[in-house]
Amino acid sequence: MNYPVWDVLFGSGLLIALVAGLHVFVSHFAVGGGLFLVLTERKARRTNDLALLNWLKAHTRFFALLTVVFGAVSGVGIWFTIGLISPSATSDLIHIFVWGWAIEWVTFFIEISAVLLYLYGWDKLPPKLHEWYGWIYFLAAFSSLVVINGIITFMLTPGSWIDVHKFWIGFFNPTYLPSVFFRTAICLALAGIYALITASVQKDPDLKTRIVRWGALWTVPSLLALVPLGWWYIHEIPASLFLSARGPMPTATHFASLAWILLAVTFALMLLAVFTPRRLHLVFALLVALVALGAMDSFEFVREDVRKPFVIENYLYDNSLYASSMPGDGGFTVDNLNNTGVLHAANWINQRNLTAGNQVEVGHEIFRVECQSCHTPNAYRGIHQLIEQRQWDPASVSAMLTGLSLMHNGVMPPFAGTDAERDALAAYLNSLQTITPDPSTFTNGKLVFTNQCSMCHQNQPDDPLFSGLDPNPQVAADSLKDLPSLFPLMPALKLNQTQRTSLVQWLNTQRPAGKPGAPPSSAAQGGN
Amino acid sequence: MIHPGVIPTIPAIDPNPLPAPYWVFKLLLLVTFYLHILAMNLMLGGAALALLARLTSSRHPMRSRIFLDVAKKIPTLLAATITLGIAPLLFVQVIYGQYFYTSTILMAWPWFLVLVLLIAAYYGFYFVAHNGKRRPGAAGVVLFLSLALVLLIGFIYTNNFTLMQTPARWAARYFADPSGWNLNLADPTLIPRYLHFITAAVAVGGLLLVLLALARWKHDPEYAAYIFRFGGKTFEYATMAQFLIGLWFLISLPRDLRMLFMGDNPIATAMFGVGVLGSLAAIFLMSEALRRQNIRMGAFGVTGVTAAVILCMSIMRDNLRDAYLKPYFHPSQFAVKTQWAVFPLFLGIFIGGVILWLVMLRRYGLFTSTRPTEE
Ligand code: HEC
Ligand code: HEC
Repeated sequence: MNYPVWDVLFGSGLLIALVAGLHVFVSHFAVGGGLFLVLTERKARRTNDLALLNWLKAHTRFFALLTVVFGAVSGVGIWFTIGLISPSATSDLIHIFVWGWAIEWVTFFIEISAVLLYLYGWDKLPPKLHEWYGWIYFLAAFSSLVVINGIITFMLTPGSWIDVHKFWIGFFNPTYLPSVFFRTAICLALAGIYALITASVQKDPDLKTRIVRWGALWTVPSLLALVPLGWWYIHEIPASLFLSARGPMPTATHFASLAWILLAVTFALMLLAVFTPRRLHLVFALLVALVALGAMDSFEFVREDVRKPFVIENYLYDNSLYASSMPGDGGFTVDNLNNTGVLHAANWINQRNLTAGNQVEVGHEIFRVECQSCHTPNAYRGIHQLIEQRQWDPASVSAMLTGLSLMHNGVMPPFAGTDAERDALAAYLNSLQTITPDPSTFTNGKLVFTNQCSMCHQNQPDDPLFSGLDPNPQVAADSLKDLPSLFPLMPALKLNQTQRTSLVQWLNTQRPAGKPGAPPSSAAQGGN
Repeated sequence: MIHPGVIPTIPAIDPNPLPAPYWVFKLLLLVTFYLHILAMNLMLGGAALALLARLTSSRHPMRSRIFLDVAKKIPTLLAATITLGIAPLLFVQVIYGQYFYTSTILMAWPWFLVLVLLIAAYYGFYFVAHNGKRRPGAAGVVLFLSLALVLLIGFIYTNNFTLMQTPARWAARYFADPSGWNLNLADPTLIPRYLHFITAAVAVGGLLLVLLALARWKHDPEYAAYIFRFGGKTFEYATMAQFLIGLWFLISLPRDLRMLFMGDNPIATAMFGVGVLGSLAAIFLMSEALRRQNIRMGAFGVTGVTAAVILCMSIMRDNLRDAYLKPYFHPSQFAVKTQWAVFPLFLGIFIGGVILWLVMLRRYGLFTSTRPTEE
């Protein structure tokens, strides 16, 4: 809209996922592992455990090389990447939270200095002083988390910031606290998991045992704590955000289940390590880390996914349109685009005049500014594949564009623009491939439902599609000629006679047994 | 089609006001950029001289010591470069976001690749620092590769920061290729500007050696005298070359912008004057210091003058950007609403952080001569 859209063939979202997915796994280790270093050093010195101390020295090098180089650069990397992919959101977040970022920069500076001094100080500094650097490191790293957490949670639950626009209101938003505790537990868990890696290459089996047991002391309770903390976290997120997770493509639900499962697997593997510490092998340690990475990224993915269609919930859509108009919005709102047209309201449009000859090209440009933040033509969440799967003919594609925001319980912003622009977008989407549906699909009522209705309706008796249809099959089939007359926001799909009849036939088989007709539809109608 | 010459598409400023007056960010940007560029110069120049020393070490045995000595410092200098670079990257987005994001998107892939190149270069430098002695051959090759990568990163940065200030070039580029592979190669200032920065880094790398000579002066006079000479000469030659390259850069600028430094803008002209005279003074001072074998004069005198010259150059760089953007950008475009509830907290943490940092260095013994032995 405001900024040019970087056209990434395979989908720009994947790049963020890659950078952020790897970064979080190291950055949380950077916090928990810091505390682990000092406390382990203290323990080793108290018990005069030289072997442990020597291992810890090597572990520090591993820690520093991983966090100072990969952790730090990939952290900057997230910032690079979101600036490329969501420049409007980045700009908003920077203007809202500059002082937060700036404070985080100070802590980061201290963090890096402290860890280097801690690393190089192993053989040079008196123990107390050495531990002092370790403490400074940990406190600085933890402060970074405490600051960044405010900004990340703000994106999901800005809360009353939306009305008052005050820094601290946005910062200490509804999910701030659960997220801090949740992430802290992750940090501590990772400290023990990473310890397995460097422990596994130790020769001395007794030392190995001591490290694994000590590491488990960090990991096992933290993993257990993640369960109530996760529950708390989820409960602070408004239920409406999870609606899409319960839609027909419950991506977020799948990832949430995956997160819990992988968490449990991590737990089990960790116990296994505790009981057979002497046999701990590098491959096994890496496996534990990999599973934990999967668990963590699944969690991050849920957070990102339930936020759709927004980058900043209720404020800015993924495609950089503002949710409502406000001073300084630059005209980048759905309402304004509906009135003036996307071709005139958006920056970075090459062909601003729609003619009979340039429909497809203009449609492509509209796709780029409105849809490409989440879709690609042919690859990641490819429209080509989505349309093919649903077998939409060109007329359906065009009709469906009016209902995007209703699909999947709300994962997309509405199409914004004039009718002619919508037709141009449809023309482009249809140019990706033109579907002529196989007539044999018309007679399969279930398939008609899946292809034409299931993105907005669920196959459940209480869905208005079941409750709102006339009990008489003939009347019902006729009423489907004109969907907007049933509910004004429904797309004007043109179902043919066969489709309508078979759909109604199938629908009737789905109604609760013992109620051949529709249940009293007053509730549903009252809702309209 | 948008024709070149038509008013370019400049993104609008977002609805959120600046959380402090414009000049606060401008000042922070200038100061932190200056620190970043100092660290970058030391890192890049150090790496370049370490490589030079490594390549010529068969004829000059002393130089393999230089190689080992300097190579050990590079990872820490790179850490400083990155850490100090984050702040100006933040502040440039605060006040020049519309320009910055747009040009990065036009060269999205190279910009994204910076991350990959940087991680590779960084690990490479660590490899060299740890293996320089045991495996000098491999370390030399890796040092060469890592240096090439950071040079490439610098080149990408120069592309971005020149493209950012020439909005008239954007639309045609973008619509010809929206896939993020645009560099700014057609800009006549690109190459001289880049070389100007790189040559400065080499000169500062020479100063790094002079500073090392100062630290080694007492314990290891022979080696110290050698690196004093090696570093000092490098500094002199690089700074002399800088006069030619700087002239080239100046000539490559559009006339009205060039005139900024030649009278049109008093501050820019003053900075330019001080910069040129300072560079001359630095060369002179260095040759005097070398002639008299006066390491303090070389280390403190020349470093001080050079630091002042680099400050002038940083301010000129900023003047130039604002002049480029003058047709589009004006600070009064910003709505300002100072966040008094958090801005003082930042200042407090910032000052506290600097103090803590100094204490950390002091307790480590970095400020005393009884410092722990070098690693
Ligand atoms: C906020 C991100 C987002 C934006 C912006 C977006 N979509 Fe989607 N879209 C989704 C998600 C998520 C799905 C669900 C499909 C999936 O999970 O694979 C989807 C599904 C679809 C489907 C298939 C629906 C179905 O169930 O068959 C179509 C068609 C579609 N989008 C078209 C568009 C068009 C056209 C635009 C631009 C006007 C657009 N989308 C903008 C996120 C988005
Ligand atoms: C783009 C989204 C969308 C699509 C596609 C869609 N609908 Fe709907 N439909 C809705 C919405 C939204 C409502 C209102 C829901 C409510 O009242 O909670 C609705 C309501 C209904 C109702 C109830 C009307 C009433 O009087 O209460 C029926 C019946 C219905 N749809 C049938 C269908 C059938 C059959 C299809 C497929 C051929 C279909 N819809 C496709 C969005 C859609």
